Amino acid sequence: MSFLSLDAINKSFAGVPVMRDATLAVREGEFMAVLGPSGCGKSTLLQIAAGLLPPSAGTVRIAGRAITAPPPEAVYVFQQYTRSLLPWRSVRDNVAFATEHRLGKRRARAIAEETLAQVGLSGFGDHFPWQLSGGMQQRVAIARALAAEPAILLLDEPFSAVDALTRLDLHALFLDIWSRRKLTVMLVTHDVEEAIYLADRIALLTYRPSSISEIFEVGLPRPRDPITTRALPQFLELRQTLLQKLLARPDA
Amino acid sequence: MRSALRWLPGIALLVLLVAGLEWAVNAGMIRRALMPPPSAIGDALWDLLASGDFVEPLFATLRLVFAGFAIGSALGIAAGVAMGWWPAAYRLLEPLVELLRPIPKAALVPALMLFLGIGEAMKITSVALAVFFPVLINTLQGVRGVDRVILDGARTHGWGTAHVLRHLVLPAALPFILAGMRVALGLALVLAVLSEMLSGQGGLGFLILDMQRSFQVRLMYAWLVILAVVGLALNTLFLIAERRALHWQPANRP
Ligand SMILES: Nc1ncnc2c1ncn2[C@@H]1O[C@H](COP(=O)(O)OP(=O)(O)OP(=O)(O)O)[C@@H](O)[C@H]1O
Ligand SMILES: [Mg+2]
Repeated sequence: MSFLSLDAINKSFAGVPVMRDATLAVREGEFMAVLGPSGCGKSTLLQIAAGLLPPSAGTVRIAGRAITAPPPEAVYVFQQYTRSLLPWRSVRDNVAFATEHRLGKRRARAIAEETLAQVGLSGFGDHFPWQLSGGMQQRVAIARALAAEPAILLLDEPFSAVDALTRLDLHALFLDIWSRRKLTVMLVTHDVEEAIYLADRIALLTYRPSSISEIFEVGLPRPRDPITTRALPQFLELRQTLLQKLLARPDA
Repeated sequence: MRSALRWLPGIALLVLLVAGLEWAVNAGMIRRALMPPPSAIGDALWDLLASGDFVEPLFATLRLVFAGFAIGSALGIAAGVAMGWWPAAYRLLEPLVELLRPIPKAALVPALMLFLGIGEAMKITSVALAVFFPVLINTLQGVRGVDRVILDGARTHGWGTAHVLRHLVLPAALPFILAGMRVALGLALVLAVLSEMLSGQGGLGFLILDMQRSFQVRLMYAWLVILAVVGLALNTLFLIAERRALHWQPANRP
């Protein structure tokens, strides 16, 4: 029933506790957003969920299995998207990165072209990452994750570097792909409106040592519209509640 | 045109120096027995080139350099990757490497002669030894410097170790590896010439020493010029190859 479950996750860095008993269950096909102030441990939590970082205590389960290494079902998209791309590879080969080890270079490149078209980057396959703008590089990173066709996507602030309009485009693209592919998504963000607009539920992280303090049902109808959905009373109400909770923190 | 002009002062200085040398020798300021006038060296060089006598020694030395460079680089890269990737390999090999690395490899040639004689095997081993360490150290540094984010990207996409090493670690470390190889190429030429001198046979190194001993000073300088050109050519070729291999770097783009 829950596809990804984080059970009493604790994490310390060099003895300093950063996370205490964080527990969260993401259902299959659900769009879950994790909201929290900067530095509270959102990336840490997501990397633990991805099997990239071992928790100090607690278990991560994906599709029922306890994991200790990155599982084949999940792909993590880095907050440091620029650093996650290979500077010596063309954009096409950077996206082929996702599948080349399973399908071979040729097939992987063909998939890469299709995925690049989906994120609005057709024609840029031969460019190198450093020849693209920050927002375009971010889309390359997103395309790379999509090309892998994971069952669950773990997104670490994937829309932070794009301008407001491109962000709306990418939101639409994401919602479209999410609903068509029946993906499960866990999205980390500090943008309240983005969380409400995209997610089914929103988990709130407390400040360090952090844990999940509350979970909100968004409950807005789908398909969502970038303009009308944001004007719904339900949207505005939730936005107010969440902002109050976030601003109420003494050290936020 | 512009770039040709850029080199003009340097070339002019060179021409001036050679002309000055010619004048100084003719004016009796330098003993001819030690330093023949450049024009006489030029004649000797021309004879060497025209007769084709230069080919065999030149190729003997080049063969040494290439064989030793290839072997030393391959082993250096392999050891560097292993030490940079597997902490156990690092702990195993690091003390040995740190012990052997500071020894000037030229000082090992006499010992190598005891085991391998004075033939090709000894010379290639000397060159390979000199090449091995700088390549290893640079490879190690390059492998350790690979960005953790890139490596985690490979992990989350399910890459296996072999694929990571081949398609991620090696290309990421390539700028370092090539910088090490460029240093090693110079050392390879030094050790090739030196082992030829010490073994007393074959190649440019032997000839330079032999000409000096038999007072054929003009020929000695002529061979020296050939050696200089070889060094320059090797370095230039390597730079071109390096630029090609690193064509993706913004600095290497037009
Ligand atoms: N490798 C590490 N070593 C030591 N401390 C770390 C390490 N990684 C993270 N931390 C600490 O853990 C805390 C949480 O970091 P994390 O990157 O998860 O925050 P975040 O919520 O993603 O922040 P942001 O919104 O700025 O991305 C930070 O205070 C950080 O200093
Ligand atoms: Mg973060």
